[in-house]
Amino acid sequence: MLRALRAYPALLRIGFAAVVAYRAELVVWILTASMPLIMLGVFDRVADAGPVAGLDHAGVAGYFVAVLIVRQLASTWLVWELNQQIRTGALSAALLRPLHPLVWHSAETLATVPLRVVVLAPLLLPIWLWRPELQLALDPASLLVFTASVVLAWGVNFAVHTAFASLAFWLGQSMGLFQVWFGVWVLFSGYAIPLGAMPEWAQLFAEWAPFRAIIGIPADVLSGRVTLAHAPQLLAVQALWLCAFAALGGALWRRGVRRYEGQGA
Amino acid sequence: MSDARRVRPILRALGASWRAAWMTALAYRANFLADAVVTLFAAGATVLPVLFVFHGQETIAGWTASEALLVTGAFVVLQGLVEAAVEPNLRGLVDDIRFGTLDYVLLRPVDPQLLVSFRRLVPQRLVYSVGGFVILGVAASRLPEPPGLWAISAALTLLGVGAAVMYALWLLVVSTAFWFVRVDNLSYLLTSAMDAARWPIDVFRPVFRVLFSVVVPLGLMTTTPALALRGVLEPTSALSGLGVAVVFCAVSRAVWVRALRHYSSASS
Amino acid sequence: MNAISARGLTKTYRSPRKAQGLLASLRSLWHREHTVITAVSELDLELAPGETVGFLGPNGAGKTTTLKMLAGLIEPTAGTVRVLGYDSTQRPPELLRRLTLVMGNKQQLLWDLPPSETFELNRALYDVDRARFARIRDELVDLLALGSVIDRPARNLSLGERMKCELAAGLIHEPEVLFLDEPTIGLDVSMQVAVRQFIADWSRRHGATVLLTSHYMDDIAALCSRVVVIDGGRLRYDGALTALAERYAPERAVRIRLARPPVEPVGPLAVVGQELVGQVPAAAVPELLARVMATGEVLEVSVEPQPLEDALRRLFGGAA
Repeated sequence: MLRALRAYPALLRIGFAAVVAYRAELVVWILTASMPLIMLGVFDRVADAGPVAGLDHAGVAGYFVAVLIVRQLASTWLVWELNQQIRTGALSAALLRPLHPLVWHSAETLATVPLRVVVLAPLLLPIWLWRPELQLALDPASLLVFTASVVLAWGVNFAVHTAFASLAFWLGQSMGLFQVWFGVWVLFSGYAIPLGAMPEWAQLFAEWAPFRAIIGIPADVLSGRVTLAHAPQLLAVQALWLCAFAALGGALWRRGVRRYEGQGA
Repeated sequence: MSDARRVRPILRALGASWRAAWMTALAYRANFLADAVVTLFAAGATVLPVLFVFHGQETIAGWTASEALLVTGAFVVLQGLVEAAVEPNLRGLVDDIRFGTLDYVLLRPVDPQLLVSFRRLVPQRLVYSVGGFVILGVAASRLPEPPGLWAISAALTLLGVGAAVMYALWLLVVSTAFWFVRVDNLSYLLTSAMDAARWPIDVFRPVFRVLFSVVVPLGLMTTTPALALRGVLEPTSALSGLGVAVVFCAVSRAVWVRALRHYSSASS
Repeated sequence: MNAISARGLTKTYRSPRKAQGLLASLRSLWHREHTVITAVSELDLELAPGETVGFLGPNGAGKTTTLKMLAGLIEPTAGTVRVLGYDSTQRPPELLRRLTLVMGNKQQLLWDLPPSETFELNRALYDVDRARFARIRDELVDLLALGSVIDRPARNLSLGERMKCELAAGLIHEPEVLFLDEPTIGLDVSMQVAVRQFIADWSRRHGATVLLTSHYMDDIAALCSRVVVIDGGRLRYDGALTALAERYAPERAVRIRLARPPVEPVGPLAVVGQELVGQVPAAAVPELLARVMATGEVLEVSVEPQPLEDALRRLFGGAA
């Protein structure tokens, strides 16, 4: 653990060098998360007939800007990377190193954050010029809550990715399954549609499902739709999901690696 | 050489390629069935966002939910074609360039553009298109005035035009693979931008319409067939759509030819 | 008219210089440095119809680049290429129908299907009529001893079986010109012999023109009476294989075993235990043998030509 911490700055540096080397591909990847922009266009029109789920034009813009930001900060490509490593056998070499592969992958993901910010800024600026009245909750207390919320969101996402990637130890390939999760996630996380705008039954499902822990909750915090009194409860929901998925992902990973090594891959 | 003599070997070659593609797909029967079932569900699930967005709204930008579903249906039909016939070829081409097996394709006595863009097929993804037609059918039957034969054939023609535009766009992306080998990423970008075509183009304010239409002539691909089914399509916009399609195909062909020339002068 | 005719064939290309380190790679965002690499330079090559020619050179000599230029896959920077009278850089379908390129390290077989399906696909692509297709396929199956191999999925075949099927897939349209790039690479010795034998049989039966690259000198020795050698993109030798050996490997390895240990060296032969051993120019061998025979009782004599590899190593100045 201590060794991992000491190695971490070096890992971040190497990760960042890789980001610079593959910048073109990464920029393209970052831009693929364009759905909030499309849905901003749709809901901006819907808001013509009056606020949707309490969001007027400025509210819609603020919400989707928050979604765009959260999506970039709480993002990881772990499931793609691990699937590839398992399929090509490259994971064997990674397992031989005295450093846990997931620690390395987490550093790799964090190293992309500066580039994500750089790509995101020119996208957000025109939205702000177009709807200058849009507001984000940027006071210190809200920012503190948001930081905690987005870190938790990233953790849940990383754990979910670990769980799905680990299935590849048994199935050889788990991208198809992950796509199914992703499809449901898009609809019920608040990524495409503010949860409040959905029919009753869908809202009920979204509230009890893990998806909103990754997007909806931090986006609501950032767009100022969460009172400070209500915040601890939402953070607790995220923390709960983090524990659940970390346990599941960890268990699947450990059993999967044992199986992988047993096969002499 | 007469046209018939030119076209026949191409058809024969594509026929043989598709036969091989079906056989490959059926070689993994369980995977084929699972993929087909998931694809069918995915097609059905495209209805949900429309229903959610229209929750509590009578119309949006002059479209009712059923009418908007026509656009989604058209989108799903085209998306299925892309996933079944276009995308696998693009990704295959990227591998072919990386591993040098494109050389084998270029040495066939058949136009390489057709071979590169149509030889691979993932048949189970055609299920997605079938799902799209089902959505189109259900949505059309719920219109106040069900479309007549004339409207249906116009819509099908426009869907074909949309498919041609879609193909031309992908060919443009494919061609860039010769300069920047890792274009599989670019294909994801195109797929995600294409998502805007699920919605009637009128929904987007002019700002957005410019933003999206620069990359993708969206309205043409999915909104015009829907307008035809609603019976409110202007003949002029249908014709201009056709013009755009022709231009797109010509441009993408020209870029492709240049890309091939670049390939044979830059590789070693 | 020659089957293959290249004049002044030249290929240069620019390659970006890869930057090392973070700072340098950040700088390379703005401007990239290029180096011009000459892969092939002023190469002249003529192959008569029906000829089998070995194409030799160390790694990176420009063999594959030349082969691809001849096949029309790479556009030459300068020079002209004619294959069967066609300008191959245009890749006219009439020419493509009459040539083939088989690369030992790249595959065209459909991975998840049996090779027979690849053959069927190529039949359609090359527009071969069914009767002729059946005849050629049977001949290939027979010559390559493929038997039931062509009905098993390609992914389940051994490397050797797969290579044989690659060859068959490349020949199903009965091409007149064959470009074979390392067709025996990675195969075990017996499989190499089988593939070699097949290439010899096929080209004899069909009168095909073959240009072959290989790292295995045995391939070249068995198949080609004429070899072309390039190094650094330049032509170094073009002529008979025997003459190449004469010129660059003119010595014989002589080893003479005597009944009693020899006391002193004889000419260039040194004493090693009970034997006299050394490298001797071919012309001097008879005289030397006579001298040794005169001095004592000879049990065993072996005179071996130098391996071809030696000739090439000498030709490339030790680079091969």
